[in-house]
Amino acid sequence: MDLLWSDYLNLALNGLAEGLLVALPALAVTLVFSVARFPNAAVGDFVSLGGFGALTAHRLSGGSLVAAAVGAVVAGAAGTWLGWRLAFAPLLKRNGLALLLTSIGVGFVLRSAMGLGFGHEIKLFDLPLMRAWRWGPLVMNPMDILVGAMSLICVTLVFALLRFTSVGRTMRAIADDMDLARVVGIDSRGAMARMWVLSGVICGIAGLAFGLKTQVSPESGADLLLPAFAAAVVGGLGNPLGAVLGAVSLGILQELSTPFVGFTYKIALSYVVMLLVLLWRPQGLFGRVQGVR
Amino acid sequence: MNRLDRRQLLISGVATALLASRGAWAQSAATFRIGALNPITGAGANFGSGMQKSILFAVEEVNAAGGAGGRKLEVFAEDDQTSPNAAVLAAKKLLEVHRVQAILGTWASGVSLAVLPMTNAANAILMHTSGAVALADPKVNGKKLGFRYQGSSKHLSRAFTTAATKEGLKRPAVMAQNNPALAPHAEGFRKVWEANGGKLTDFVLYEPNRPSYRSELQQVLRSKPDGIILSAYVADATAIVRDWAQLGTPMKWIIPGFGANIDFIKGVTPEVAEGIVVVESVVNERSSAYARFSRQYALTVKQAPENNVYAAMCYDMVQVLALAIEAAGPGADAVAVAAKVREVTTGKGQSVGSFEEGKKLLAQKKAINYEGASSSIDFDDENDVDPTFAAFVIRAGKWQRSYTING
Repeated sequence: MDLLWSDYLNLALNGLAEGLLVALPALAVTLVFSVARFPNAAVGDFVSLGGFGALTAHRLSGGSLVAAAVGAVVAGAAGTWLGWRLAFAPLLKRNGLALLLTSIGVGFVLRSAMGLGFGHEIKLFDLPLMRAWRWGPLVMNPMDILVGAMSLICVTLVFALLRFTSVGRTMRAIADDMDLARVVGIDSRGAMARMWVLSGVICGIAGLAFGLKTQVSPESGADLLLPAFAAAVVGGLGNPLGAVLGAVSLGILQELSTPFVGFTYKIALSYVVMLLVLLWRPQGLFGRVQGVR
Repeated sequence: MNRLDRRQLLISGVATALLASRGAWAQSAATFRIGALNPITGAGANFGSGMQKSILFAVEEVNAAGGAGGRKLEVFAEDDQTSPNAAVLAAKKLLEVHRVQAILGTWASGVSLAVLPMTNAANAILMHTSGAVALADPKVNGKKLGFRYQGSSKHLSRAFTTAATKEGLKRPAVMAQNNPALAPHAEGFRKVWEANGGKLTDFVLYEPNRPSYRSELQQVLRSKPDGIILSAYVADATAIVRDWAQLGTPMKWIIPGFGANIDFIKGVTPEVAEGIVVVESVVNERSSAYARFSRQYALTVKQAPENNVYAAMCYDMVQVLALAIEAAGPGADAVAVAAKVREVTTGKGQSVGSFEEGKKLLAQKKAINYEGASSSIDFDDENDVDPTFAAFVIRAGKWQRSYTING
């Protein structure tokens, strides 16, 4: 069957929506990596936690989306802060592998705890189904627009925070060179803690976005982990803008590939792209070469 | 008489404790050990705990009737997380640590396909509710220790063809999750449908756990089908049908019961679900086994038994296993017990609805045929049952029985 240009455009729109969804956890992955120097495998589970926080607040407030966002942020931030205090801070001086393994363990604990606390059945936000918006042959789901906008706002705020505030500057300083930052008097533990809270806030918003678009379950966030990793690696680990652009371009590429490779292989495609990028530019598309200290 | 000093008291206490524990150990060595390996979490979570509880209360029933073959049944329960990886670890623990002789109630095909080689290697029995045709393959189930209590994909495919014809579909499309049960089910449907001279407008396999299935759905809708056969579990069925509702194209859906259950209806809202056709194997409503199972299920699980046909299958597993143990006689191993399963379920024996009834008749050396709660439980040469299916239509948020389909 011949596809029209509008069909490709629809695929690209679907890809954009998916990419913006993955952008948030990818941003969280890259943020933790830039400061704490390890890939945080519990990101997906913090996203689920944010989803449950959002859902609980949404139900308690009688259906307010603002309350849901607050609930998501509080749950996500509380989760990562506790994770930092109980699991990651005591291992601060260990190498990345120990921290990676710890994060896998934290993820397991979180997932099981959410399973015990909330059960495993599918939970949805109690929102009316909205009809898709059509412009001629183009179709856009209002929920995707909401989710995409939320993602963009969140990403913009994070960038502004990193760029223009002293909190962001100290974070970037310890990401650059932890020892040097300490020498000039930056409270590196405090900055670390703030970084963890920030990554929790991002995960929380991601949980709300993912929950609004799909469903909330203890396992749902974990499904985002690998796409988020792939996006962060393609964009250059440690580079926030790279993670977001990586997620969006992988999402669009993935959907646009489906007429050629089919739906079962489109997922493999993002990892093929990741491999190619690693071969061609090991530092990622937007990363820069760094010496290992 | 000397009073006991503290040391003697301690020694005698320890000795008593040891004796008591040896006694307990000796007792448990004389039990028939069963592993209940069910999808408590993951995609099968809607059914898993009901399945496990059904195994537990069925075992209580058997033990209350004096046990089977002179032995009490003992259950070790595990969660397979609806994931082959987790299931393999749990099965290993059940077989090697708890030394179970039978594993009951694996649900997802991927899980059963992973566990069956392990039970085979341990000469243990596996009773499952998975649809994959591959589970009946002689290479996989050559020892005939695996028993299927659910219609296999081949039965389900035929039932779907009948339903699609009855619903008047001329040019349906198929969407199926790419997994060992659902993809063969969809393939099977295509084969039977095309063998009957029918045509499909599109055939799409998709990967599970995606944030959206919009692209897949848009492709299928472009082919302008008059109906979509959706072979999916609850999570993906909900996502796909919600996406469809937002697009607003009228469509007739036919979905298997494990995908379009009560949570699905809640998820897509009853208004959207209105008119969706559901095909599911139906319980054996008129049997006395079902009457007893449903009473106990409502009491123990506190949910409606008709929403969990797999729990009825698990109940039957225990009854059948116990009857086979009884028929095999004291001390029989799992292989000998498996050899008796067909004898107590299939054939011309006197119909019985419970282990207790069957035990009495077996004691009188009479042939029996267990009539189950989930189906009449008659195994064919491949150890598959042939259950009855029915088509339901969702009306006002509930399944309404529409017509019966014989698989």
